[in-house]
Amino acid sequence: MMQMYFASFQDLLIMDGHGIYVWSAVILSLLVLVWLIVVPLLSRRALLKDIARDVLRERARQSSSKNNQGEV
Amino acid sequence: MAQSINSGFTPWLKRDLLLAYRRRGEVASPLVFFVMVSTLIPLGLTPESAQLAEIAAGMIWVMALLATLLSVDGLFASDYQDGSLEQLLISPQLLPMPLLGKITAHWLTTGLPLTLVSPLLGLMLSLPAAGYLPMLCSLALGTACLSLTGAVGAALTVSLRKGGLLLSLLVMPMYMPVIIFGSATISYAIDGLNWLPPLAILGALFAASVALCPLAAAGALRITSAN
Amino acid sequence: MSWQWFHRLGSPRWFYQTSTRWLPLLALIAAAVLVSGLVWGLAFAPADAKQGNSFRIIYIHVPASFLALAGYYIMAIAGAVGLIWKMKLSYMVMKSAAPIGAALTFIALFTGAIWGKPTWGAYWVWDARITSMLILLFLYLGVMALQYAYHSIDAASKAGAILALVGTVNIPIIYKSVDWWYTLHQPATIKFTSAPSMHIDMFLPLLVMIVGFYLFYAVALILHTRSEILRRERKTAWVRELVQPNVGEKA
Repeated sequence: MMQMYFASFQDLLIMDGHGIYVWSAVILSLLVLVWLIVVPLLSRRALLKDIARDVLRERARQSSSKNNQGEV
Repeated sequence: MAQSINSGFTPWLKRDLLLAYRRRGEVASPLVFFVMVSTLIPLGLTPESAQLAEIAAGMIWVMALLATLLSVDGLFASDYQDGSLEQLLISPQLLPMPLLGKITAHWLTTGLPLTLVSPLLGLMLSLPAAGYLPMLCSLALGTACLSLTGAVGAALTVSLRKGGLLLSLLVMPMYMPVIIFGSATISYAIDGLNWLPPLAILGALFAASVALCPLAAAGALRITSAN
Repeated sequence: MSWQWFHRLGSPRWFYQTSTRWLPLLALIAAAVLVSGLVWGLAFAPADAKQGNSFRIIYIHVPASFLALAGYYIMAIAGAVGLIWKMKLSYMVMKSAAPIGAALTFIALFTGAIWGKPTWGAYWVWDARITSMLILLFLYLGVMALQYAYHSIDAASKAGAILALVGTVNIPIIYKSVDWWYTLHQPATIKFTSAPSMHIDMFLPLLVMIVGFYLFYAVALILHTRSEILRRERKTAWVRELVQPNVGEKA
């Protein structure tokens, strides 16, 4: 197996002084990528709920109009 | 009456020139902007001749670009509002030719005056003597490119309210090669190099724009005017 | 015979149902490739002789740049397909591709800037590649803004497609102009990467990351398109059937 380039986990974080650059770049990029995935997932869930509400409203309207027809 | 493939160019060119003449105050405002902003530059930076000379080429080009950007919004706006754009769309002529006529009229009333006034600005900004002829050539060709590509953006945003700012955002990337080669023409001449190559590239951009932009603008107008 | 397949491909319902089945697997593979490539590049690959460890940003910067540019072409092709074949689904893909591409361009610019600091001492250097990336970001924002400005979905899609195609023609011109402009003012061209002369131990994780980013892009594009499908097709019967479970819970 390959050897890790860095001697310890500590070294991996610090990277001879360059760690702050590399890790801030990595973390920010990962945040953006996660945001790109989370936003459509959340919007899909919201859309499904919204459409369900529409369907319920329509059913209520239909059944109430049927009742009215029955009365007339 | 026989319709040739070029029909529509001259009538619409004449029409737009006449309309511009009737609104000559409005049409002159980009030109006034061009001259006024050139006064802002020494006020904002430095009155020193040597330093102004270094940036003169680029600054004149940036200001010409901004002035054209201001004016290109009005290319289709008034026609859209009074319905003549719709008339143009249902007329039997091929759409690109009348559009080319309108764009030519636009250039004659904005780009050409800018070009003719530019030596005055060169004087105010201490442009070195070698830069004057290249400046005239590059502005003449370049503003034509700007009018042409600006027309595509104007066609895409004509039916939108407040389309002006969006128009600027849309055409800016397309303007960048023009300003790169336009100001390079002047810089080359000032540095004593042969300034014809960048001018030739500008000419190529112009040739491509003349061929393609009327088609793109026509397609965009058909789609967006139906909105 | 084969056109049947092509037109079935254009059905939003088919896309939604098929992606429901395959998306989890695709997402898993994408995550696996990304994680392994990132760990490999950050922890296991050797450091650069001149730049030291800061060069590891390349494992995000380069794939993001690739996808930013490829994503624009995907968006433009989707627009073209929509214009030519009048396929609604294609327009939905085009609309979804824009924010993803813009986000990736932003990542490319941001990581490029961070990389620039330890390497050349400045966060922003007007070199050809960064400047072209910035212009690409403007092109993306333009397509997004134009679609947003129109009220009619049909006009928005067509206008966006035209703009995307105009941008496609412009991208090579812009890149070449900026490249020329940069060499005009900076005699020594600084290249961010010179992939062929990279050591193989540094190049392999980069390849893995590029593949991983492509897979990620596919996942993100599918997710965004699914939401867009629901948004635009909400009045259709099959979407109504989809929400039956939700309705059933409330009833």
